[in-house]
Order: sequence, then C-alpha cells, then structure tokens
Amino acid sequence: MAMKWIMRAKEKGAIIIHVDPRFTRTSKVADIFAQIRPGTDIAFLNSIINYILENKLYDEEFVKTHTNAAYLVNQDFSFDDGLFSGYNEETHKYDNSSWSYQLDSNGKPLKTDSLDHPDTVFSHLKKFFKRYTFEVAANISGIPVEKIKLIADTLVNNRPGTILYALGMTQHTVGVQNIRSFGVLQLLLGNVGKPGSGINALRGEPNVQGATDFAVLFNYAPGYLNWPNSTQTSLDVWAESNGTFRKKFFVNLLKAWFGDHATPENDFGYGWLPKMDKRKNYSIFRIFETAIEGKMKFLYVMGQNPAVTSPNLNVVYEALSSLEMLVVADLFQTETACFWEKPGVDPAKINTEVIFLPAASFLEKEGTLSNSGRLVQWRYTGIKPVGQAKSDLEMHDLIFRKIRELYKDSTDPKDEPIKKIIWDYPAEQKEMAEAVLKEINGYDLKTGKLLTGIGALRDDGTTSAGNWLYAGVFTEEGNHSKRRDNQNDPGGMGIYPGFAWSWPGNMKILYNRASCDANGKPFDENLKIVWWDEKQGKWTGYDTPDVPNAADGPDTPNGQKPFRMTGEGIGRLMANTYKDPDPNHANLPRDSSATPADGPLPEFYEPVESPTENILHPNVPINPCLIYPRLETKQPIGTKEDFPYVLCTSSIAEHWCAGSVTRNIPWLNELVKETYIEMPEKLAKKLNVKNGDRVVVSSARGEVEVKAMVTKRLQTLKINGEEVIVVWMPYNWGYKGLSQAASTNLLTIDAGDPNTWIQETKACLVNVRKA
Amino acid sequence: MFPYYVKKDISLLSFVTTQHGHILTAIHHHSGGKDMKLSRREFVKLTGALGATLALTELGFDMKTVKASTKEFKLKGSKEFTSICTFCSVGCGMICHVKDGKLINLEGDPDHIINEGALCSKGASMSVLPNSDQRVKTPLYRAPGSDRWQEISWEEAIERIAKKIKQVRDENWIEKDVDGDKEYPANRTEALGFLGGAQNNNEETYTFVKMARALGATYVEHQARL
Repeated sequence: MAMKWIMRAKEKGAIIIHVDPRFTRTSKVADIFAQIRPGTDIAFLNSIINYILENKLYDEEFVKTHTNAAYLVNQDFSFDDGLFSGYNEETHKYDNSSWSYQLDSNGKPLKTDSLDHPDTVFSHLKKFFKRYTFEVAANISGIPVEKIKLIADTLVNNRPGTILYALGMTQHTVGVQNIRSFGVLQLLLGNVGKPGSGINALRGEPNVQGATDFAVLFNYAPGYLNWPNSTQTSLDVWAESNGTFRKKFFVNLLKAWFGDHATPENDFGYGWLPKMDKRKNYSIFRIFETAIEGKMKFLYVMGQNPAVTSPNLNVVYEALSSLEMLVVADLFQTETACFWEKPGVDPAKINTEVIFLPAASFLEKEGTLSNSGRLVQWRYTGIKPVGQAKSDLEMHDLIFRKIRELYKDSTDPKDEPIKKIIWDYPAEQKEMAEAVLKEINGYDLKTGKLLTGIGALRDDGTTSAGNWLYAGVFTEEGNHSKRRDNQNDPGGMGIYPGFAWSWPGNMKILYNRASCDANGKPFDENLKIVWWDEKQGKWTGYDTPDVPNAADGPDTPNGQKPFRMTGEGIGRLMANTYKDPDPNHANLPRDSSATPADGPLPEFYEPVESPTENILHPNVPINPCLIYPRLETKQPIGTKEDFPYVLCTSSIAEHWCAGSVTRNIPWLNELVKETYIEMPEKLAKKLNVKNGDRVVVSSARGEVEVKAMVTKRLQTLKINGEEVIVVWMPYNWGYKGLSQAASTNLLTIDAGDPNTWIQETKACLVNVRKA
Repeated sequence: MFPYYVKKDISLLSFVTTQHGHILTAIHHHSGGKDMKLSRREFVKLTGALGATLALTELGFDMKTVKASTKEFKLKGSKEFTSICTFCSVGCGMICHVKDGKLINLEGDPDHIINEGALCSKGASMSVLPNSDQRVKTPLYRAPGSDRWQEISWEEAIERIAKKIKQVRDENWIEKDVDGDKEYPANRTEALGFLGGAQNNNEETYTFVKMARALGATYVEHQARL
C-alpha cells in the first residue's frame, strides 16, 4: 500500500529509481530500473558515493554543518586489504579503539575548518571510497557503468530524494553496512531531516516496529537500551558504556517493572535482571542450536512460525524435536506447532510435549501497534474471540499469575524478581490493554498523574516509564493512539499531528533540525518543516522539532545537534566510538552511541556463498567478523562448482511471511497457490525446462521440488567477466494450512550479519535440474 | 463512502491493472457492459478477490446504484468498529461491521490518512479470519511420542506450562559467570526461550518481555529479521 504514495509523488514529478535483482511490478512504474546481483549493494552505492566525492557534488553547507566531515580521526586508524585496524583473526572481532576522534583536553572531538586536512573524516572518506569506480561496481554488481552514472546523476540533480528499502537490503551478512552506505550517501547529498528526504525502512510485519521498540530482542531492554551483561555489575557500570542520558531511561523502566521495590538503595532492582554472558550470543539461531545441544528445554512461540520462515530449516526441525516442551500461541495450526506431523517424520520418536494456545486474532482484541513511521494506532474490537480463544495479553496474565503462585512460598533469592515485579493488571482484555499502555507511558510518582512526555522523566526514581520512547502516548488528556483528526495538516505535507500519535513526542520526521542551516533557518523555504523562532525564543514548526530542548537556540550547543542520539549530536559519515563527557559526572559519559562491529565505513564483501571472487581483496572475500558455520555438521557451505546459480528469496504480495494466516484464506490461495522458482529464459533453455515444468532446486543444505516460472524479468548478468544466473523463489509455504507446498527455506543459509544476526536469505547458491 | 474510496485510488490502478492483466480480463468478461447491475455482496466479493484496489469505474457500472444498495442491504443494523491491518507495517485503517456478534464486512477506512480507503489483497481478505473453520478454538495438547492432538482446558494448559517453566528454570539456573579469577552475578536461565511478537499488539510484546525477563530468560527474540 505504500506504493500509492510513491505513485502520487510520481504524478507530481518525482523520478522513481528501482534497483532489484528482478524486474517487478515496481520496476514497471519506475523511470529507471537497474538489475543488481544479490549481495552487491555496497559496491554499487559506494561507487555513487565516490563519484559525488570526486566531482564535489555533495551539499557542502549541509556536510560542514550537520556531519562529522571536519572531525579529526585517530591517527592509528587504518584500512588495508579488506581489514580495518584492530582486527583479531582468532576471534573474528575488532578492537575498535582506533576508530575514534582526536580529542581535546575536555574530551571533546577536535575539528578543523578545512575538509582537506589529511586527518579529517572527509579525507578518510575520499581515500576509502576511491577504490569504488563505476567500472569496479559494474563488474561486481552487474549493473552497466552507464546506468550507474545515470542513477548517480539523477540522485545529485533531484534533491531532496528519499530512499525506501526493506529486507532486500538487510538480509545479508553485510546488512548493517548496506544501510550505512545509504547513510553516507544521504548525508553527503543533504538528504536527511527534510520533507521528502531520508532513509526509510518499509518493515515487514504489522508490529515489527513495536516489537522492536519493546525489545522482544535478546540484546535490548524496551526503548533500545542495551540489555546488561554480567560484567556490568551495577547501573553505574552499565552507564560507563551507555551514558547517563540512557541510564535515566533505564531507571524509569526499573520503576515501571519493580514499583516501590525499586529504590536508589537497591540500584532500582537492577540486580534482579538476568544478565547475559558477554561471550555468548542469544539470537534466534542460538535458540535452535542450543536446543540441538540439549541446553534449551522450553520454548514459548507467540505468533511466529519459524518452521517456515527460518533459514536452513533442517536445523529448526531438529531443534523443535529436541525440546522438552514447546508452547505455540497462534490462530491456526502452524508448521511449528505441528512439526511432529511433518511428512516423513515418525512422531513416536519425538518426545517434545507440545501445547497449542488458541489466540484471538487482531480483530478480536484491543491494543496498539506501531507502523514503520512510528505511528502508534489503537485497534478496537466489536466481536468476541472464536471458541475459547484468548488474547496473548490474557495468556501472559494467566501464565505469570500461575507461576507466581507456584513460587509464593519460596525464600530463594533467585526467585525474588518473580515476587517483586509489578503484575496486577485488570483481567478484562480492553481494560488490561489500557492499563499496560499507561504503564508504558509512565507516571509522575509524586502526583500519580500520567507523564506528559520524555521531558518529564527524572532519574531519581520519582517517575516511571515502561518504554521512555512512548512517554506521551497516554496522558491525562487521554489515549492519543485513538486520535482521529484527519483534517488539520499544517504545512500541507501529510503531518496530521492530531491523527494517532508517533514516538518520540509525536514527531513525524526524525532529524528535522537538519532541514535548517546553522542559524535555524530552513535551507529551502518551500520545504520548511521546523525552524528557530527568534521572537518566541524557541524551535517551532509544523512538526515537533527534533532538538534536545526547544528553548536552546542555534547559538547554544544544543541548538546544533540535529542527530542528538549520537554522542556528538551530528551525522556520522564515518562511525565512531566517541563518548560524550557528562559535565555533571566525573566518571560517566553523558552518551555513547553504537558503532558497527564490522567497521566504521561500509566495505564490500561477497556473500558467504558467492558465484565469484572478491576482486577488491581476494584474501578477505567475506565479512571478516562472520563466524560460520556455528554447527560444523549442519551448516555446510556450497561452492559455485556444485551450485552454480544465485538464489534470492522473498515474500510475495498475495501471501504474508510464513503464510500461517494467508494460506488459510481461500481467496489468497486462489491468487497464488504454491511455491515456484522464477528463472531466466536462458537457464530454462539450458535445462530444457518449459514454463510450468517441475524442477528440483538444491543447495548444500537441502532440496525441494517446485514449478518453474520462466521469465524475462530475470536476465543473465555479467560479473567479473563471467555470466552469472540469478533465480528467485517465494518462501511462504509449508506442510500445514489450506495451501501446502515446499518450504524454500530448506535451501537458504543461516549465516548472519555480525551486528544484527539477520540471515543471508537474499543470496545463496543453488543448483536446478528438471524433475 | 464507496465513490470516495474509488476516486482516491486512481493513481494505483493502472499499476495493478497492468500487473494482473489476466485477472482483469476475466472480470471484464464477467461484468458484461456499462449498465451492469451488481449487488453489494457480489461487488465486495469481486473487489476482495482482486485486491480491493481495482479500477472499479473500469468495471463499468453505476456507482450510485452500488452506494444505494450498500445502505439498503448488507450493513443495515450493523455496528462499526475500526482496526489496523495485520500484515505489513504500513498501518492501514480498516472499518469492520458487526451484526449479531458476527463480523459481516471489512473494508478500507476512507477517513484514514494512510490508506484512504484502500486495502491490499491480504488486508481485504481479513473478514475471513473470525469466520474461518480452520481457526483453533480450544487449547490442544500433544503428549511425548503421540501422533495426535487432544483438547484440554485452559486450566490444564496453563498449569502444565507454569509447572514446566518452574521445573526448567529451577534445574537450569545460572547464578554467576566466571571469567578467569573473576566472578559476576548472572541471575539467568538459558533453558527457557521466548520467541515472537511482531504479530502482536504493543501491550502484548511488553508483557511478554516483562514476564520472560522476570523469569530470568536471556533468550528473548522475535521475527525482526523476517
């Protein structure tokens, strides 16, 4: 549905560039289409960055005002033959201490007036990206030189421009660095913070934004606070690497969770939280792998179907069979819940106890969800759940109350968090949803009133907020997620401040301070969104200004921090380990923001399974921070000799993700009814396959039999002088539901990005033969 | 409501038309001609199957008639509630109609700032969800080695889950981490895993995490990577 807005922009003269391994429905309406080899986005994007740098096509005022271009980099920093300084070959990790700035005596970064100083970030950029000529990019990506140049010139000549991306960019072992290339490109073009600019993730699930905000993720607490590891023995030790700015939010979370039990004397109950072993990884892949190793005993799966969606499915099947108990809460019987019914499996040999909890659908319960634009909207209901189904909220309530009852007489210190955590929600579903949203918003504990916003949070335990980002969603004025003003649109840009509510603080365009110059005046009067109002003495505009404090003008440090979630407050063309000192704390930094594990600049590495060599550095072909295989016998890596074709996978418009819901909807099954492989005519001819013939697709991990769809939409690519064939498959099927077909993820690889542990499902190697 | 919804969608129409040309051909055949009369029910069926973003004016019937029949027939006596779609992350608004406790209609919310009345093929099909025979209606239990489900009560399901969590937690508690000669309090279990959440409401993801962390779990994950 996002496409209708792209089409509306096109009607107003916007130019659409579409880069994809396949010619799709989007390509059809695009002005420029480029077919790219999966996994080579960095080479392509970096060549555009290089072109912009070499020809001085960047927005100099923006770059000087709002980025770290003029900051001086530590002289120990280096990059050579595919490796940044600090690499440890044994651990596959970087010591990133040299990825820092030169600092003054106050711990603030040194900067110069001249971008050409040899130590500046800008000089490092020029040197680093110099290798990425259009010719190198064309050889790696398969996009012809002329087309890359056309795209580069189009981007330069049509500003602002926005970048929309989805899992095609992130499901790679270089997923984070793919997006870093976007970041560098947009910062150089001045395309951040202005209406019509930015880098926008089109996220996959209805509430993947909310589930991430609320940290259904091992490495975070709600609001993107790093989950503590065991060496962080107190909140202050945690703050040494996270800063006092974030510590305040953590205190508010602990107050929301432990209430009066959380006091300054007991470190607000920080000791009750489970701590990670910092040497370990707790991602979804390790859930399955530790189950196979016999360490994971119990798994609670809520509205997810990993027996279809996870890569290298044989590992998942074995993991589920190794558990003592599996609980699945879902609408329909899924492949995950029924893994013991998989064709060819003897259930008698599977000892896992399985409990299925029938869940209420989204139409049968109330609560909020957050879309890709951070818009938090309320869902109402007017019907009861089917049969005995219950909402997940009610399930959690029943389960946790029962567990607490089982522990009520315990005096063991390990059981204290179960007894101390605040859990007294109303039983009725709608009331419970509102009570939880209020807890998330938080309270002023002195007055008992709901908090008005992030600015009202204090660090002394006198306020609480279950997620600091959501402070302001539910105030004494009411539940803002229910607001429905679709008339008032100041500025006429679709802001609609009275329609639902966006975090943080009802802001629609993040970094919007960067739409203004150093004096707080919009760069472009026609695209103004916020500005400094001298008369009123505050930042104001059509949107909530993205500034640390609305009253701190351009002549103060806070008035020059358009990227206030980095320690230095400006955009990072080159990532950095910088920690901003806190004037109020001698030993603790104010803020410290994330640095990618695999380098401060985006370098191109081949996918783990690649049809070619890495021409930039053959000795470091893949991401050097990657550890794969993790299970020697279950994660084989295929070679191009055995598996000559590149497989790219994705979901389709007619089915969603695992298909757990959509494959039970007859209408949708009529639209697309089974798994298939899309292949270029050239491959079909070679294999003597016609449209609709059955073929066997195999990888180092498994094989499936599917129908062939022979198409012109995929064309043979020329890569490093050789012909490379790309094929594509949807992954939405399994052996349950009204529509059953082969699972593509039997083929895909479970190697993951070292920052996010996202799997490389966009590029692996397969073979194809006629069935 | 309907003419509004159609008008607002014109920009997307040529796109969908081109891509689903084969489906549209069938509809043109079915629709007959300019003066075709279509009941609201047939109308909804048709648009639903095609993804609700079709060029309805291209089907060649009089929108006024459709609008009138809408008021007269299907929705008479029904109550409305709004929801937000459960598929991708765009956040499209939906209007749902309930009669006698049953969901009888679902359509794109024309007053919604994002979708302005339109829905994709998946969203438009969601009225099936509360009415599907495939939905599981009671808790189910599969015993070790068994080849079938058996229905159990909620009480039994919750009791089994809670007891198992307690047993696994108590038997697999990690009190501290040892690194060389240093010891650090760990307070966790690595034998309990909690997975899921992107299909759930915010409040549910919050209680899921709060429960899992209170129990000492470090394996808390969801489909952020899908």
